[in-house]
Amino acid sequence: MLATFLTFIFAAAEDGADAGKAIALGVGGGLGAVGAGVGIGIIFGKVIESVTRQPEMRDEITGIQWLGFALTEACFFYGLVAGLIAFFL
Amino acid sequence: MSTGKRIALVVGGIYLFLIVLTIGIFGWSRLDNEGFKPQNEFKLDDWVDLGPFSINKAVLYLVLASLLTIGSMLWISKRMKARPNRVQTAVEWLYTAMRDNITGGNMDDKMARKWFPFIGTLFLFIWFSNLIGYIPLPTNTEHMVDVFGVEIPSFALYAATANLSIPLALALVVFIAYNVEGIRAKGLGGYLKSLIPAGISGFAVVPIFALEVLSNFMRLISLSVRLFANILAGHLIILFMTGGLAVLLGIEALGVVIIPFGIAIFLFEVGLVATLQAFIFATLTAIYLGGAVAESH
Repeated sequence: MLATFLTFIFAAAEDGADAGKAIALGVGGGLGAVGAGVGIGIIFGKVIESVTRQPEMRDEITGIQWLGFALTEACFFYGLVAGLIAFFL
Repeated sequence: MSTGKRIALVVGGIYLFLIVLTIGIFGWSRLDNEGFKPQNEFKLDDWVDLGPFSINKAVLYLVLASLLTIGSMLWISKRMKARPNRVQTAVEWLYTAMRDNITGGNMDDKMARKWFPFIGTLFLFIWFSNLIGYIPLPTNTEHMVDVFGVEIPSFALYAATANLSIPLALALVVFIAYNVEGIRAKGLGGYLKSLIPAGISGFAVVPIFALEVLSNFMRLISLSVRLFANILAGHLIILFMTGGLAVLLGIEALGVVIIPFGIAIFLFEVGLVATLQAFIFATLTAIYLGGAVAESH
């Protein structure tokens, strides 16, 4: 009786480990995408705002915009890589 | 109806028709494929076994990118003319952008003259290794294709920068370069002191200093992982969208549904991410170098 129960628990724990890995990947990718998405939205919104206010600054702002975009976008990949490490390793 | 609208309608119609056709032929049933391992696309098989110096496809891409960087720039500089053709104009524009925006914008003139070759080469090298990563080359020796009796490796996408060791090596070079430059400009004590932001005094100096040193080492991680993860994730998404997912799950129609997204992601990666990551790496290098010698932190 106890033996079957234990087998069941261990099987569940093993499934749980797999599920945990899947959750890690989902959280790493998903929440990372949420944060980076908000950040990228803010960057482009602010760029539109500042270009409409001062159109003569456009070239300068564009350079900074891409820098900010890439830095923010990279944060998504940190989460994704952490998730992939949890999933595969 | 305008021509563009008509073309869009026809393409959309063909897309929907193909989806319906594949569902009609194969149905929509999941059949997990255990044999296909997507992570093997990034596995490095040794071609020439030399211990730690073994030749594998990452080395091939590295050599290709270096040859392209050196060869293309030498070729163009040898053929410089007073009346530039289109290629020369493009390269001259690139040269000015690298010199004035990336390098000149982040450090003073003397430093910029000294470090421009380094930063320019870094930019071009990363750019070329990103770009050749999107050209299918016969490098996948795991799956051979039989073409008229000759076994050739199947075509695969891989980039040298999709392997952590190459961005990490570049980041290490940058890390050593800016620290050495900072120490040379201010002396060891002065450089360490300049890590502390102005206006901090008393007890707060110790934790702030520790944090700043830590953040300097974090630059190593962020610089390398940013490039590596961007390219790796791009390649993974292209792999999954253009057939990998359909093979993995065994749903034929899914492949037809998502292939336009795969093409869109591919164009996005080639058009924006490859250039942007090279630009970011070079710009951050210039910012770190400029910041290491600047008077106030």
